[in-house]
Amino acid sequence: MNKYLQVFKISFAQEFAYRVNFIMWRVRNVLQIFLVFFLWSTVFSDPNDIIFGYNRDKILTYVFGILIMKSLVLSSKVVDVSGEISRGDLTNYLLKPVNYFKYWLTRDLSSKALNLGFAVFEFLLLYLVLKPSLYFQTDIIQLAGFSIITLLAIFLFFVLLFIVSFVPFWAPELGWGAQFLIIVVATEFLSGGLFPLDILPSGIQGFLYLTPFPYLIFFPLQVFLGKVTGLALIKGILISISWSLILFYSMKRLWYKGLLVYRAEGR
Amino acid sequence: MSKTEEKAIIVEHLTKNFEVNVREKGLKGSISSLFSPKKKTVRALKNISFTIKPGELIGFIGPNGAGKTTTLKILSGLLYPTAGFTQVLGFDPWERRPDYLKKIALVMGQKNQLWWDLPAIDTLELNRAIYEIPKREYEETLSELVSILDVKKLLNVAVRRLSLGQRMRLELVAALLHTPQILFLDEPTIGLDLVAQQKVRDFIYEYNRRHGATIIITSHNMDDLIDLAKRVIVIDHGEILFDGDLGELVKQFAKEKIIKVYLSREDDIKGLEKIGKLKKFEFPQAILSVSRETTAVAAAELLQQFAVSDLTIEEEPIEEIIRRVFKGEMRKRKK
Repeated sequence: MNKYLQVFKISFAQEFAYRVNFIMWRVRNVLQIFLVFFLWSTVFSDPNDIIFGYNRDKILTYVFGILIMKSLVLSSKVVDVSGEISRGDLTNYLLKPVNYFKYWLTRDLSSKALNLGFAVFEFLLLYLVLKPSLYFQTDIIQLAGFSIITLLAIFLFFVLLFIVSFVPFWAPELGWGAQFLIIVVATEFLSGGLFPLDILPSGIQGFLYLTPFPYLIFFPLQVFLGKVTGLALIKGILISISWSLILFYSMKRLWYKGLLVYRAEGR
Repeated sequence: MSKTEEKAIIVEHLTKNFEVNVREKGLKGSISSLFSPKKKTVRALKNISFTIKPGELIGFIGPNGAGKTTTLKILSGLLYPTAGFTQVLGFDPWERRPDYLKKIALVMGQKNQLWWDLPAIDTLELNRAIYEIPKREYEETLSELVSILDVKKLLNVAVRRLSLGQRMRLELVAALLHTPQILFLDEPTIGLDLVAQQKVRDFIYEYNRRHGATIIITSHNMDDLIDLAKRVIVIDHGEILFDGDLGELVKQFAKEKIIKVYLSREDDIKGLEKIGKLKKFEFPQAILSVSRETTAVAAAELLQQFAVSDLTIEEEPIEEIIRRVFKGEMRKRKK
């Protein structure tokens, strides 16, 4: 275990080596929130309006929720993996008695701890500046459900991103494109990172709920907002667990297949 | 089983093929390869076999693309062999068991494991944890490596600020912290200045002696091979052309002999050129190279036709032979 503790430490040190970069990334997040905040404030100029089942408080809570959820779920260090494979840097890990997944999970958690710390700070700052009226969940069961589904979401995205990162084993030049497709198009859009998914027609929604994507951001927030309860919550957790298992198993399979064709390039 | 005990490395009938996409040049080629990619099989290693005893220091030589690095990558478990048998210290490298990985190291002159933005000591600490080296052992090994390689002052400097030579020495420290029994060195002195090269070389020699480690080194640096390796394996086009003593290599592959003559009169040099290839002429000394078979005749002719005060016949220098190996000339000769 000591191994991964050390990985956690060096990862933290690494983040601080790129201070300016890190700060710019946080600034980008804040600006994005401002943009979405003012957009929805304008749409709901009357606090009593209800559109798609959202009143002003709930939509703003959703928007702030996105800030937190993105730093928890979508800020993953695993984006570096595809580059490591295509450049042949994977070699460094294969030579050592270290588990590549555990290594990256640790790096991921370390980066998440850092990002979450900043997100909470930014949240407080934005809260004081914008003084929005937000919805806070108080029901213990909902909060517990929210925690479980969020942890699952972190794992789900980790595995999903890992699978996409294996593309360079077979097509080194496709790494970036594959990642762009899955991160920007699939996750940002289909996970509810840009707008609440219940705006979409119910047929599409029904289909989306069978994919892993809504369980990354939209579903956890719905749980927090109290819009998904009881059986629906349990069903969601079960689907998320199923996807985690299916994708985890596929990831392992692909990893072994990838290693068979790995070229250890770079020399 | 006694076979595995006395051999550190066993390679039998090892074959490795790579599938590569062939793309014709230009835009047209790119487009056509998009729709109908052409695959080609490159045979990087063709049925090679050799064994290495514990504590041996072996030079792997051959021209670029001969299959040296591929062999090292297979032995360290990075590449999956297409066919054949490999066993190192009783392990199948491909399984990459932690117990195996703790006993080996692969150092590649052009690859780095040190964290670029952090001081090297951070990577060393990380490696200590990864290899589960006990604290005391770690400190002893570290201080030993640091003093031999003379890098004490560099440990706390961000790696990106170091020169290539400084970095390379720290790479060695990082790679050897767990005192591997088997060491695969791929071009360890590439890009280093002469002083740094010598430091690395001395170190490898010392490491082999002190720890009885088995070492395979590939290099295009003549001095690396001559100083370090007693036994060499010559590899080209995925085949082993020679495996044996460095001295034996010269005997087998030297095509020519060198005749040095000292003339007592400054005669017509053109006559010398008829006898052999005149490599250097600086009165009174002339250096000729002649084919092995005609050495005796050439020497006799020289004595007859010129006023010779002294004459010696020498083997072609080892550098010359190795240079020819690098050029890939060995293959032609053998067939």
